[in-house]
Amino acid sequence: MIELRGITREFEVGGRPVHALRGIDLMIAAGDHVSIMGPSGSGKSTLLNVIGCLDRPTTGSYRLDGREVAGLDDRTLSRVRGRQIGFVFQAYHLVPRMTAAQNIELPMVFAGVERVTRQARVAKALGAVGLVERAHHRPEQLSGGERQRVAIARAIVMDPAVLLADEPTGNLDTVSGGEIVGLLEQMNARGLTLLVVTHDPGIAGHARHRLRMVDGRMIE
Amino acid sequence: MLPPGDVLAYSAGALRGHRLRTALSLLGVAIGVSSVVVLTSLGEGARAYVTTQFSSLGTNLLIVLPGKVETTGLAPVMGGVPHDLTIDDVDAVRRQVPEVRTVAPLAVGTAQARAGERSREVTVAGVTADWLGVRNLRLQSGRYLPDNETDRDRSVCVLGSRVAAELFPGRNPLGEMVRVGDERYRVIGLLAPRGTSLGMNMDDVVHVPVRRHLRMFNRTGLFRVLVEVHHRDRMDDARRAILALLTRRHDGEEDVTVITQDAVLTTFGRILGVLTAALAGIAAISLSVAGIGIMNVMLVSVSERTREIGLLKALGATRGQILAVFLVEAAMISAAGGVAGLGVSFAVTRTAAMFYPEFPFDPPAWAVAAALAVSTGVGLVFGALPARRAARLDPVAALSRR
Repeated sequence: MIELRGITREFEVGGRPVHALRGIDLMIAAGDHVSIMGPSGSGKSTLLNVIGCLDRPTTGSYRLDGREVAGLDDRTLSRVRGRQIGFVFQAYHLVPRMTAAQNIELPMVFAGVERVTRQARVAKALGAVGLVERAHHRPEQLSGGERQRVAIARAIVMDPAVLLADEPTGNLDTVSGGEIVGLLEQMNARGLTLLVVTHDPGIAGHARHRLRMVDGRMIE
Repeated sequence: MLPPGDVLAYSAGALRGHRLRTALSLLGVAIGVSSVVVLTSLGEGARAYVTTQFSSLGTNLLIVLPGKVETTGLAPVMGGVPHDLTIDDVDAVRRQVPEVRTVAPLAVGTAQARAGERSREVTVAGVTADWLGVRNLRLQSGRYLPDNETDRDRSVCVLGSRVAAELFPGRNPLGEMVRVGDERYRVIGLLAPRGTSLGMNMDDVVHVPVRRHLRMFNRTGLFRVLVEVHHRDRMDDARRAILALLTRRHDGEEDVTVITQDAVLTTFGRILGVLTAALAGIAAISLSVAGIGIMNVMLVSVSERTREIGLLKALGATRGQILAVFLVEAAMISAAGGVAGLGVSFAVTRTAAMFYPEFPFDPPAWAVAAALAVSTGVGLVFGALPARRAARLDPVAALSRR
């Protein structure tokens, strides 16, 4: 499903090269639940961005569902992100002027899904995260946990194969953090491949496969 | 790719999020558009106004001026002192040029007009009986200057409505005596009010017989001569014949100028066309300033919404879609500003038309269409840079922006 070979990623920071990823080989099977831990700057977020097609590796091969995506053009990568991958961010990244329902609808708008279909799928996603009665609230009227649930609903509304979560509980208290983890595991149980980056060992402990990164390398 | 309805909804939502900012940049466009429309209708109105004013001179008119007017803009050729245009010249034209129907000389001077205790500085026009018809003037009461040979030099005058009202308040001036300069004239007629024509007040004038006028001011030269030609298609023949005749009478020197109304109209039309273009140019500057305003607002918007743009990319929006969203936002501001500006300019021209009913204030259709097209174009052009910037944002960097 996800197949990384010899992935490296270099940046220039202040004129000096930074090696964020130094040769990652990784196989993640469909439906797997994987956690990646590691200290700040270990490259785990960069790895997640590469897997999510937000970032391109400097060298190496990345096959998603058997298709090489490392060399795809911008437009195709956008489509891959829109249809195959769902993102959950630490900071939720909801559009503040839009209601929960409108936020959830957004990926379908850009994928060109028909308006009629969109309403039904928004309702279904809201149901899946248990927020039906909050559909017409704006983010500022929602608690942190509720916001993250809206974000999860938005991530799954296009029915992707992979769900990528970058510190999904980082801004939440223990109780709502636990609820979010539970929700993500539910999604995984329905067959979504789940990849969580965290530095909370309690959350990482739920994963079927636990990976550790240090200094741009996987140390298992 | 992206349904238009959804783009509009998304962009409108973003604009609603910043009402004041949107309203201000919309105002900028509205001012630009309304100044284009108002200023061009001013220019076009001036052109139409001058055209109708000249038409009121009457058609089939030739105007004979003393002196050679070099239309090339060079100084007159120094070939000796030009001859005056005299009453004898007028008689010669009347007798010898068959195309001519009427010849109406005009001498102009200013003098004090006095009646009893009251006096007033007036324009004194020395004319003949034909002047009334050539200039389309109407009499309020009495008679105009006499026509026949025996009476034509009598000391009689016709008063403009303003002069009559000032010198004889509340009285009928007919039959009264008026002293003009050092001479006394009997009032035999009153002109109907005419208002201003080509900047000259037609009511503040005293008409006296042209020969008396020349004697009074001790001159021989006329100010100009209006010639009415029988047929419009003989205008050129008449012009050449008059020129040839007067050149012969003036010792072979071509020292008069004969112009047709068409020539005058064409010249004025050209001048006013340039004026309109200049006004439109000035207005276009304000429109482009408004465009820069839009660009500024959109750049601010893009940098404020960097995280939103990063998110849209993560959710699968392509560069083209993001470009479209931001372009539509800019175009919406400017198109709405264009419509508002049109509203303002119609209000302005209507109001102005109420105060100056004789001045045609209609905004030219081309200016209205161009203002709308240009204002929307302004949004697209000046929105392009911010939209490109948005579309090219790196999603990872955009998402992590605080």
